[in-house]
Amino acid sequence: MGGYVGRYLEVDLTRGSITDLPITEEVRRKYLGGSGLAAYLFFLRGKYTADPLGPDNDLFVLTGPISGTLVPGSSRFAVAARSPLTGIWGEGSCGGDFAPALKRCGVDGLVFVGQSPTPVMFVLDGGEVALRDATDLWGLDTYETTDRLRETMAGKRRPSVLSIGQAGENLVHFAAIANNKHDFVGRTGMGAVMGSKRLKAIVCRGEGTIPIADPVAYKVICKELVSKISQAVPAQALKEMGTDSAMDLGMMIGDIPIANWSRGEDFELSNALSGPTMSETYLKRGLACYACPIACRREVEVPDGPYKMAVGPGPEYETCASFGTMLAQKDLAGVIKSNEWCNRYGVDSISAGCTIAWAYDCFSKGLLTLEDTGGVPLEFGYVDGAIAMLHKLARREGIGDLLADGSRAAARRLGRGSEELTAEIKGLEIPMHDPRGSHGLALSYMTSYRGACHKAHLVEAIEHGLAGYTDVGLEENYDGLSSEGKAPMVRIGEDLGVPLNALALCEFDMWCYQFDDLVRAIRAVTGWEDFSVEEYRRTGERLWLLKRALNNLMGVTRVDDCLPLKIRTPLPDGAAAGLVPDEALLLGDYYQERGLDETGRPLAEILQRAGLAEVDAVLHR
Amino acid sequence: MSIRFPSEEWVAAFFKAINESPEYLEGGKPWTYGVTALVVNPQPEIGLTEAYGIWLDLHEGVCREAHACTVEEAQTAPFCIFGDYARWKQVIHKELEPVKGMMQGKLKLKGNLQIIVRNVKAAQALVTCATRVPTTFLDEP
Repeated sequence: MGGYVGRYLEVDLTRGSITDLPITEEVRRKYLGGSGLAAYLFFLRGKYTADPLGPDNDLFVLTGPISGTLVPGSSRFAVAARSPLTGIWGEGSCGGDFAPALKRCGVDGLVFVGQSPTPVMFVLDGGEVALRDATDLWGLDTYETTDRLRETMAGKRRPSVLSIGQAGENLVHFAAIANNKHDFVGRTGMGAVMGSKRLKAIVCRGEGTIPIADPVAYKVICKELVSKISQAVPAQALKEMGTDSAMDLGMMIGDIPIANWSRGEDFELSNALSGPTMSETYLKRGLACYACPIACRREVEVPDGPYKMAVGPGPEYETCASFGTMLAQKDLAGVIKSNEWCNRYGVDSISAGCTIAWAYDCFSKGLLTLEDTGGVPLEFGYVDGAIAMLHKLARREGIGDLLADGSRAAARRLGRGSEELTAEIKGLEIPMHDPRGSHGLALSYMTSYRGACHKAHLVEAIEHGLAGYTDVGLEENYDGLSSEGKAPMVRIGEDLGVPLNALALCEFDMWCYQFDDLVRAIRAVTGWEDFSVEEYRRTGERLWLLKRALNNLMGVTRVDDCLPLKIRTPLPDGAAAGLVPDEALLLGDYYQERGLDETGRPLAEILQRAGLAEVDAVLHR
Repeated sequence: MSIRFPSEEWVAAFFKAINESPEYLEGGKPWTYGVTALVVNPQPEIGLTEAYGIWLDLHEGVCREAHACTVEEAQTAPFCIFGDYARWKQVIHKELEPVKGMMQGKLKLKGNLQIIVRNVKAAQALVTCATRVPTTFLDEP
């Protein structure tokens, strides 16, 4: 069988031991890999009540069957564990070059258990597999850690480095994991889990190859996919202008959050912060992840001024919004500097920006004062305030300790009505796409298994019309401002999108071709000759149900599937002015469509039909 | 009285609507990038046997010139947008926002996508002008 290289390792950080973890072919086909396989392994271990920052919360770092191949967009891998930010299922994924590097070492995935007494790093260097002391790296940021490790492992092939910064070390609940300097496992605080284990870095360098079941078909389909991607306008826009290419367009359709979700339109802001503006000002070049023809990553330079930055990783759309429009500030160089600090400390720029925007809102309403902020005026429009908060939260200094646990926990601690100023679902801050302009997206935020999330499904791309999959039961056009009939679209968007993080494949590439194409690629790589679009969709449903059941076991009920007051409040202007998603209609339809009972649990027969009898036995016992 | 789309009369009425539009005067002000040509792809079954081009010389919120043109002439413009009849009908009905349509591949752009993407306001205002032209369509009785 192709795609997999055949070895999973379990690393016990308490004992310092490394053992092989057998995974059968049946399990691989059923859960694929990445976050899908991670969810199944998490279920088998049954540690639903483990302290997310304690030794019992196992950390999964897994690739998928097409990770590291030449299928476009296959650079990705997933990291999963119980989230310290949300207390429920946590997962994140990123591109870069870690997945191919890991597989070249002959390893498909890693599971870290226990907790090391001292800082360590896990090294795979060709055939060598070892835990090494990382005391001298502790306290360094992600850029410094990457540079240091690449210096010490100099050679013909540069190692790929996963690392945490000070935020992960200090257990910031939305700490991220960096792959080198440019790519981040951002959401749900996986960096904090790594920090709790005192695992500073994972380093890979290998020369091996990935077996391909049908090399001829593989070559043909890879060439076809590259051609389709090259011709697709969204890919061209991403290549030319990055993920921030459509901020003006987003402003027009009511997609962009402004001033902590309080306004709906400001073209001056979007024009100042958009991808085209970045291209005309600070952009040095676009960069690609491994095996991707799109190259949406930005490399930028701010040559002078208060936000001076040497040539390095630039912000993507989410950061341009979370440290730009969300703070109603239009200094793109300020966003670039904020992004650099998010990267260096290793924090999710969405949760960080949103939590800081919440603090700005609190400040504007007198709920936080200069005394609380250490003398920093958190006034909308003032980006230096956000940068100051980043420094504080990464080190948990002063107000930073409040912000470091995320907006939900911060608001609960502060009280006095500040809870009404947050915009999160299940504890995860809403990403930078306003659901008041996209009601299907609102539903997917409510039902996503990791909290408010736009990347665990394809709903955003489908509802915005960036991706059209009419061959799998979807319509060509959806009216974002309507809540009518959205449940079937969301369900299909989830079933199609969930496996991408198991395979693990970049969504942007998937926008440019059809699922039949993807299935052909999976067949060629794995040798699963009868793998079909139908099996792909059934796998997506299985993985969604499995993660939902895990969340139920961790305490999630229907009550948690809800929109925050911020989003239930109509905007005063913009395309979505005066409209809010019809929460009851959306959820009512969806519960029926998905087969959830009144408490929010998947029905027993639905789990049985999805091949999850063992999950049903635990959930409904 | 309704005017058939596309036709020379429709182009003239569109020209008038643009130059009478306060929205375009404001929204189109940043547009200094030259002529935009629109091309309706041929669809013989509704009587459109050849591609139909519309030449729009837009500059700083005004339309300096508009005329019907051949597809060859249209392609000499710095920006040329191609679409099937049904797509242009959706645009005129405000059911398809043209920049979004280009991103989705429903309308094909020949020209600099970056400039188009940062001028969504101008495109939006132009569509508003089109909706003000009383229009009849070839595929409707």
